[in-house]
Amino acid sequence: MAAAESPSAALRRRDLCSRGIRLAGKMRADVVDLLDAYVEQQGLDASASVAAMEGVPLAAVERWDEQTGTQRLLENLAAYRAFRALLAQMLEEQREQLGEADAGLGRALAAVLLQVSAFAYHLEELLRLESRGIPGEEGDGPPPPPRLSLFEQKLRGLGVLRELAQWAVRSVRDLRQLGKPSSAAGTAPGLAESP
Amino acid sequence: PGDPQNLKCVTHNLHKMLCIWDVSSRRRHGQTDFCYTTNDLTPQVCFKTKERRAEIPVPESSITVTIKSSGTAFPTKEFVIHQKDIPFVPVTPHILSLKPDFPTSTLNLKWSDNGSIFPYGLDALWEIQILRKEAMEVVTQVTYYSKLTHEDIILSWNWTSDMPLECTSHYVKIRCYINATQFVGPKDWSDWSPAEMIPGKDTEPGGSGVFPLDPVVAVGSDLTFCCVHEEDQHITNMTYGSKSYTMIQLSRRSHAIRVLNASVSNTSGTNVVCRLENGYEGSVVFVGYAPDTPQNLICETPNFLIIKCTWKPGRPSGLYGERRTRYSLFERTSGKNVSCEVNEVNRDHVCGFPVLPDQKTYDFILGVSNPIGQAQSSLLVDITKRVHPKTPEKLTVTGDNSTSIQLRWFINGSFAETRLLCQIEISSSHSERKLHNVSIPGRKSSTYTAQLNALRPDTKYQLRVRCAAADHFWRWSDWSRGVDQTTSEA
Repeated sequence: MAAAESPSAALRRRDLCSRGIRLAGKMRADVVDLLDAYVEQQGLDASASVAAMEGVPLAAVERWDEQTGTQRLLENLAAYRAFRALLAQMLEEQREQLGEADAGLGRALAAVLLQVSAFAYHLEELLRLESRGIPGEEGDGPPPPPRLSLFEQKLRGLGVLRELAQWAVRSVRDLRQLGKPSSAAGTAPGLAESP
Repeated sequence: PGDPQNLKCVTHNLHKMLCIWDVSSRRRHGQTDFCYTTNDLTPQVCFKTKERRAEIPVPESSITVTIKSSGTAFPTKEFVIHQKDIPFVPVTPHILSLKPDFPTSTLNLKWSDNGSIFPYGLDALWEIQILRKEAMEVVTQVTYYSKLTHEDIILSWNWTSDMPLECTSHYVKIRCYINATQFVGPKDWSDWSPAEMIPGKDTEPGGSGVFPLDPVVAVGSDLTFCCVHEEDQHITNMTYGSKSYTMIQLSRRSHAIRVLNASVSNTSGTNVVCRLENGYEGSVVFVGYAPDTPQNLICETPNFLIIKCTWKPGRPSGLYGERRTRYSLFERTSGKNVSCEVNEVNRDHVCGFPVLPDQKTYDFILGVSNPIGQAQSSLLVDITKRVHPKTPEKLTVTGDNSTSIQLRWFINGSFAETRLLCQIEISSSHSERKLHNVSIPGRKSSTYTAQLNALRPDTKYQLRVRCAAADHFWRWSDWSRGVDQTTSEA
């Protein structure tokens, strides 16, 4: 049984959760705007279905409601670290392919990358709050993806942004769940239990 | 019975001819006495053969052949063969190599002309057939001309396909005709060589994809894209940009579309998408222009440390990022080459080249290239005649009285070997704008002074300065920032 949470810690957690929810909400709005711009700029078909791609974390999760708080935070953190690497790769490819030709999209991509990094840091804060160790970054991030053709790069970019938008929605739900005052005094739902 | 008949001879090399004949009776396998003599009184040549074929010389005019079944009572049969009746059919050409160059969709064919067996100087015609698809449809047939030199020469020929070689298998066959003008017999084409094949990706397991992959092509090109897929995969459609095109089936695993007169693509390229039942294959094509020849190439030095070249690039290429147009400045005298960082979007085309010790004249070549083409401009320039000083800085008044003002300013640059001409603009509410020129020996990154006399007492003046090279005037610098100064009362 984990130690009961002090009132100040609970207050701090609820504050972090609500700020996280706002951050995720803003991020989602920006990702959706970026997605529209990306589809147009890359000449893609907005209705194109993109298969799941290796290295892109899927937001869909089974038995979401059974997840412990720690699982939620750890899965969120792993996902946003992966998105940080994927977006950085997209930015690099963007510069390589377009140079200064479409700086607007590059800036929007960089802005979302910044938000993803900030959100990952925010999740680390939450994990520190519950005195959970912050999982190290695996080496220097996921192994570089295989060299894709330009069209595959475009499709992967589409898949990354779509999945990131889904993750932002899931993160809001996760943080709402984490932000609920605990049913038992001092114990946040799901936070205390951990695998 | 037993009579040799239907004697037919053909020559493949104008020296020897191969004669074959039939024997009418059942006795087909015995030995034959074969003799021949040409009519220039050479002795008869005889030999025995079990075959019903013999290789004998091609006669200048005619040759008499006698054939008799050995050891039998069958009569000797005589044939007179005239050169005019001997067909000349060259040996079937042998393809030495057929190599694909996929990036350029070019096939390189090499074959031997077998010239050593023919007299010097004969004209040879080679028909080369390109076939494609599983049905081996003839795509084109080309005639290639060469002259035989009594040596075996390896001939080479390139063919660029209008479709990527990956799209489907390509085959090449060749045959030849030798115009042996001295030979009076009928002349004919050789047989076709066996077809050499370059397999397409549609023959490879896992060879799926759209081809060409991520090409860069010129505006106005006619393009063929193909989608190679698995045999059991149904192909829904193929689009170029937002437009769907009629598909041409190349094989069970390959479909193509033809795009005519391609227009310039947008910055991220035009997508060529092949929609399959369970996914996509795609390619991105970049359609742009080859670089124009740079216009108005001007090179000048602001400070005798760097030479600044500017030019008008002409029509934008429409290519960006790693496909952008790149510029380099090569100086012939020194052999030095500089690559220029040019921002293709805000279009300021400037390139810096270091002033080299003890070199006044520069023989520049501005090279321009992108994946579609290249161009260049050249300029021979004496930089002492192309001095365009930087804007004078820190203009200050160092002293004044009722009728004169001393000015001082700074110019960044190494003008030790140059005389500067500086112009001071004097304005006041009382008088017209006046320009006062002073000629000053240049120095290395230094301040310069000048005195203005004959001014009005108690008058407020606005002053600014610009400079240029005195000896070979080229261009004024920009005006310095202005300073205000009021002369003291008289």
